[in-house]
Amino acid sequence: MDTAVQALGLTKRYGATTALAGLDLEVQRGEVFGLIGPNGAGKTTVMRLLLDIIRPTAGSATVLGHDPREGGSALRRRIGYLPGELRLEGRTTAGELLRHFGRLSGGVAKGTIEGIAERLGLDLARHVGKLSKGNKQKVGLVQAFMHEPELLILDEPTSGLDPLVQQEFLSLVRDAKARGQTVFLSSHVLSEIEQAADRVGVLHRGELIRLGGVEELRAGRQRRLRATVRSQPGLRAALESMGRVRGLSLVERDGEVALTLSFEGDLDMLVKTLARFEVLDLLLEEQVLEDAVIDMYRNEAS
Amino acid sequence: MNLYRRELREGRRGLLGWAIGVAAAVLLYMPFYPSVGGPELTQTYIDMFPPELAALFALEGLASGPGYAQSTYFGLLGFLLISIAAIGWGSRAVAGAEDSGTLELTLAHAVTRWQVVLETALALLTRVAALCVVGSVLVWALNGPAQLGIEPTRLLAVTLALFLLTSVTGLAALFGGAVSGRPAVATGLGALVAVAAHVLDAVARLAGAPWLARLSPYHWAFGRDPITAGFDLGGATALAAAMAALVLLSGWLFSRRDVGTA
Repeated sequence: MDTAVQALGLTKRYGATTALAGLDLEVQRGEVFGLIGPNGAGKTTVMRLLLDIIRPTAGSATVLGHDPREGGSALRRRIGYLPGELRLEGRTTAGELLRHFGRLSGGVAKGTIEGIAERLGLDLARHVGKLSKGNKQKVGLVQAFMHEPELLILDEPTSGLDPLVQQEFLSLVRDAKARGQTVFLSSHVLSEIEQAADRVGVLHRGELIRLGGVEELRAGRQRRLRATVRSQPGLRAALESMGRVRGLSLVERDGEVALTLSFEGDLDMLVKTLARFEVLDLLLEEQVLEDAVIDMYRNEAS
Repeated sequence: MNLYRRELREGRRGLLGWAIGVAAAVLLYMPFYPSVGGPELTQTYIDMFPPELAALFALEGLASGPGYAQSTYFGLLGFLLISIAAIGWGSRAVAGAEDSGTLELTLAHAVTRWQVVLETALALLTRVAALCVVGSVLVWALNGPAQLGIEPTRLLAVTLALFLLTSVTGLAALFGGAVSGRPAVATGLGALVAVAAHVLDAVARLAGAPWLARLSPYHWAFGRDPITAGFDLGGATALAAAMAALVLLSGWLFSRRDVGTA
């Protein structure tokens, strides 16, 4: 009874294409679980299966103790869902649309819609059709959270949100967790959900290739570094000696070297290596999981 | 009934537009009966057309007031306009919402697939009924001034026949969408039913093959001339059965398939 989501050999095939290949997964009640993977990895397929929008080819899923199909509308009332490809249409205002969804969910406590909208900075009087992508995403978030469902299933919730709103979203997730709600969310990068998630699974080509705490995945995270360094002999050798460096490129011009590289592992070593040189500019960002990285995970696992 | 109410609210403007179209059709045709109609005048008219064409558009009916209303409005323009409106609504009900991506979010709420089919079908029937009422109220208003001489109960009978017939074409489109999720399939199926119904009826009359007409919903509606002969229980039953079958099959098949992957 304390399992919010359970998948057993959950499989979805479309003709010859396999969108999800035998997923085994358990999300505990009260947990915030993140599913990471590049586009097309099968994240959306998992979520649609849990909501009975599509049906599995093989295997089974249990959501809040029920099969999604058997559970029907009574089960979906207990879930808040944000679709990955959110489409909102209509001649109504955001507020009217949200009240409509609220009625479908069997009622929303007074003031809740306004409260969440205010936190996210959403103007409820605007017409839905005229909202920007980011504002539509906010409408999607409000309708997922507003009836305080036991389980939140959020497909790429941070996409289209600016960093400030992303922070507010993360605080909504923390509040939900504090109330005992379970959150199952996805992203194509770890950084957007790592502050919120307790555990993370990495999905690739329909398979769960890694499962663990955020700390574990953070250590193995792939980062892309771009820097400009004053020309100095031994730079290439120093960078290569770190190991776990891929795609190293150095372009020298006017006594400065523009370098880019992908790096996985201990950041401390990278910083200390760079510190031996005169750094003029530095940009470090998380890289979307690439096939090469995925293969590395695989090899480690086997 | 939240989906039903929302469907009607969102479609207000469209309904108003179609109502104006139907009203225009009635107002443009009915007042001219005294000048183009009447037994002698009309026969010279009909003789100008090849007999096949005269049969296709049931021109022989022009000779009487009720026949004129049937040939111009109920059997032709009204049928055409209201069918097109109904097919549009039927196509949008499931396929349109699915194609635009809005259906996924609706279905993620405490809503069943059956509920989507039943409530959108009911919204479609409501709007089709509204258009039929607008048309017939105007025909009634012009009944005296245009010397149409249509009996009130006969007008009710033909209005019911038109409502049932155009509902069948609209529900055929809804069915096409419920099965496929594609607006093109939905619209195509609705249009096919409407055109086939009319053509089968006409061909049956041309070829003198009454068995062929029995396959046509158009014939079920107007074959026994409700505007002069009154309610046709058999025809109405056949149309109502077709509507029920389309709704039930839509709900059943829509409940069994994936959404949003067409």
